[in-house]
Amino acid sequence: MEEKEYTGVLVFAEQKKGDIHKVAYELLGKGKTLADKLNCSLMAVVLGHPDINVKELVYRGADKVYHIEDEMIFSVPDEVVYAENLVELIKDIKPEICLFGATTFGRSLAPRVAAVLETGLTADCTDLSIDDDMKLIQIRPAFSENILAHIKSDNYPQMATVRYKEFDEADRDETNTGEIIKINALKSGNSLVEVIEEISNENINIADADVVVSAGVGIKSTEDLKMIQELALLLGGEVGASRALVETGILSKSHQVGYSGNRVKPKIYIACGISGAPQHLAGMKESGIIIAINNDPSAPIFKVADYSIVGDIYKIIPELIETIKNEELRVKNY
Amino acid sequence: MTIIVLIKQVPDMEKVKFDREKGRIDRSSAGTEINPFDLNALEAALVIAEKTGAKVAAVSMGPPQAEESLREAIARGADEGILLSDAKFGGSDVKATSSLLSAAIRKIGSYDLIIAGIQTVDGDTGQVGPEVAGILNIPHISNVESIRDFTEESIEVVSNVWEGQYLKRGKYPLLMTVTKDVNVPRLPNFKNKMKARKAEITKWDCSDLKEIIDESRLGVKGSPTKVKKIEVPAQSQREGKIFKDSSSEAVLEMLDVFKKSRVLNKEV
Amino acid sequence: MNENIIRKMQEIVGEDWVVADLEKVGSYCEDETEKAVKPKVCRDCVVVKPASAEEISEVMKYANENRLPVMARGGGTSLSGAAVAIMPTIIISLERMNKIIEVDETSLTVECEAGVTLLDIVELFSKHDSLYFPIHPGDEGAQVGGMIVMNAGGVRAVRYGVMRDQVKGLEAVLPTGEIIHAGGKLIKNNAGLDLKNLLIGSEGILGIVTKATLSIKPKDKHIGSLLVSFENDTDAVKAVTEIFKSGIKPLAIEYMEKTAILRAAEDIGMTWPSNIGNVDLYFIVSERKEDDLYEMYETIVGICEENNAVESFVAESSKEQKTLLDIRSHVYPSMQKMVVDAIDAAVPIRNLAKYMEGINKIHEKYGVEISTIGHIGDGNMHNSILTEDAEKPECYDQIVDEIFNLIIECEGAITGEHGVGKVRNERLKLQFTEKELSLMKAIKSVFDPNNILNPGTAL
Repeated sequence: MEEKEYTGVLVFAEQKKGDIHKVAYELLGKGKTLADKLNCSLMAVVLGHPDINVKELVYRGADKVYHIEDEMIFSVPDEVVYAENLVELIKDIKPEICLFGATTFGRSLAPRVAAVLETGLTADCTDLSIDDDMKLIQIRPAFSENILAHIKSDNYPQMATVRYKEFDEADRDETNTGEIIKINALKSGNSLVEVIEEISNENINIADADVVVSAGVGIKSTEDLKMIQELALLLGGEVGASRALVETGILSKSHQVGYSGNRVKPKIYIACGISGAPQHLAGMKESGIIIAINNDPSAPIFKVADYSIVGDIYKIIPELIETIKNEELRVKNY
Repeated sequence: MTIIVLIKQVPDMEKVKFDREKGRIDRSSAGTEINPFDLNALEAALVIAEKTGAKVAAVSMGPPQAEESLREAIARGADEGILLSDAKFGGSDVKATSSLLSAAIRKIGSYDLIIAGIQTVDGDTGQVGPEVAGILNIPHISNVESIRDFTEESIEVVSNVWEGQYLKRGKYPLLMTVTKDVNVPRLPNFKNKMKARKAEITKWDCSDLKEIIDESRLGVKGSPTKVKKIEVPAQSQREGKIFKDSSSEAVLEMLDVFKKSRVLNKEV
Repeated sequence: MNENIIRKMQEIVGEDWVVADLEKVGSYCEDETEKAVKPKVCRDCVVVKPASAEEISEVMKYANENRLPVMARGGGTSLSGAAVAIMPTIIISLERMNKIIEVDETSLTVECEAGVTLLDIVELFSKHDSLYFPIHPGDEGAQVGGMIVMNAGGVRAVRYGVMRDQVKGLEAVLPTGEIIHAGGKLIKNNAGLDLKNLLIGSEGILGIVTKATLSIKPKDKHIGSLLVSFENDTDAVKAVTEIFKSGIKPLAIEYMEKTAILRAAEDIGMTWPSNIGNVDLYFIVSERKEDDLYEMYETIVGICEENNAVESFVAESSKEQKTLLDIRSHVYPSMQKMVVDAIDAAVPIRNLAKYMEGINKIHEKYGVEISTIGHIGDGNMHNSILTEDAEKPECYDQIVDEIFNLIIECEGAITGEHGVGKVRNERLKLQFTEKELSLMKAIKSVFDPNNILNPGTAL
């Protein structure tokens, strides 16, 4: 039976400079439910420097962690090098399910691995579950998120990339025990592509941001802007602006949201002191959740908002920042 | 030098309607176009070709009508168009599509650079490019945002991957996928457009490729992943909740929203 | 603003829908008119946001009784000061009246409230299989009511005409408070004097339009844009006149100076496809059959090439065509900081060459930069007088006097689509006789005996 040949759930734990990407913890959280249902082990694989603290993956629930070690070759995003090592491992341990975070690197690496393994791959899943026949159901949105396709794979391993921030991170428990298996990396390398350097990049890209905190002309100075920037930072987002604010010169055109600026579709859009001219609404009304703060109850922005907060931004935003900070302190101390 | 550009004809997504009742996509009113990212791929190829004298071949898998998109590619400056069309190719998933494209590329024979768009706007998987590279066993560079330099032997690009921007230099043969930031696609010149209307498009079906790939690896038969069910999620309505003179209540509820959306940035 | 008035307004529309806070009122008191020619703005106003014609009627009755000036406001995109408050005014913003009531696929009409924006209409039909609203009078934030009373024109008027040609029927509130209806879904309607056409283009001084039935058109299956570049304006203008002679009617023919269109593209971070030549013509054409479309392309490009065109491009995907239109629509906003006065001349197509020659002479005589873009297919040219800081140049008065005289000499109109507003009133006598003007004034006083509705506008 083929099913016997392949067993276990393997999570690719992406690392950069020794830091493990959080999507790995989310995948371990979801992977655990899958593994329990299948009654198999939950595994993780890290490719990186020997010093990486892979124990963290055990604390997050992995029964086995494969640590493919090398001091050099995994310090740059080289898909050929990564794929070669992963393929070798997967051929050896034969997991039935193999999950990658749908990060830029995961999305580039997973198809290469799937190609060599000659197996199927589902992109950008937002949910996973186990069907009655013990096969993986991979759920992904399609056609501009209008539908959710439930996809199953005939081959093994069943491979999928999974979106970041779809699942909760696995709980951390230092009493967890698991096996750490160190493997020496294959080093045939990539004779054709050379990664020259990482370039620093400070371009803002509000079109791709998960959260956009936008300000209008209620903001009178660069000083006032600081609270908007702080809120955006706390939410891992970018700062947007109405056309009117951009015209004052307080923010550059690259921040402008609207018909003649950026059209954005973040998970959360927060409009601070923006009245909501049609020109602005055209650039943000497709956003996931819209929060509007304005002291004018008749502001048109409230018509498209999920949460309309009628009040002074200079009172509400600092309160919001304070509350978020307290919450984070609470989580850290916990 | 030969550059191969992978092209897909897609519906104009802004005009595609979605029938919620039937859970079906209605493409009837939407025209078709070249996948926008593929236009960036084509433009990149044309810029390189202008300097190096490379030949640019556009390859597409699709129904007979996809011939139109190859004509459009020729109008914009591609030297030839190859359409992979056969009823047996229907129902291809990423693997079958990549296998077919790889087979066609092998049939073309010599090539230096393959360029694809980062993803298609309809399928949206972004996997075909890297998978083709995997099958052909050549390296790939993903998410190319800018091309810094190129010669007839190699290319230097900025790849947005691994949460950063990496300057990479690749020797051919090589596959790269490009983002919309890499360039601004040119419009077809009027004369080329008229000429392209009459251009000959090469068409390959299953039998033309049988020396290279077995039928069992193509179309539905060659597709390990299958859509078992389509779920139409309930259309989300705006909450429309109003807080007036209750800012602390509002703030607490917002915190809850942030938690549920997993946007609290714990690193700060 | 008097407390009693504010209280009365709150009574009529509800407390939340009255804005009296000076800071918030400011943006409702003015429009997009060039600052060098804009009348002095009065911010001592109250903004009222009614939900229905009935509420507007209540406001009008109260204002009429108390002789209070009222101004209706839509998207605030006027370029002639029509939506600038010049005295303490009750400003009625129609933003809440934004419902699309019905698309009638048999009569080919769309009925909507006056606060619906052009963008709403564009989006409504963007996914429609076979119908659309054919004209595009500019800024998509403009509202239907404003577009009607200003008789907006814009880019696609060559084949289907301007706003006046799209309005089948309307509902309006008179300055005395009565609600009237004019026109309907009819094709033929010969009863009585035509009040509908009096209200269209009246610049909001005869009544406040609250609802309208607009005509929609079948969409041609094949639509494309051509971009043709020329070395100079003479060749481009000649090509346009020849095209009309050949009997072709595109949806739009736009004329753009290269520097202006490149500036617009850069300003919104887009790329204009052509960078050779000094003047571009941009054609939007549509046909039911693809072959017919290509035949039209060939005729147009053929005529342009006979007139020394240097390069031609074709855009066919909806995105690429939209890019061209977006950049074209942004020409004015991108140079707004430099515009002293944007002339809005309309001349017969036959006199276009003469008009452009005259403009060039004025430019040479005074050495002031005049940037021309225009809906050349409608004979409607915008010649913007530019200075670095948009301050009036020394010889400003002579320049505009000469331009207006030139317009009249070319048998033209002093405004093609922007309207008289509060900036061209003095020029009316160039175009009309005393008698003609006094007829217009008499009509105003019949509708608005106390002259409370947007006084100082249009006449």
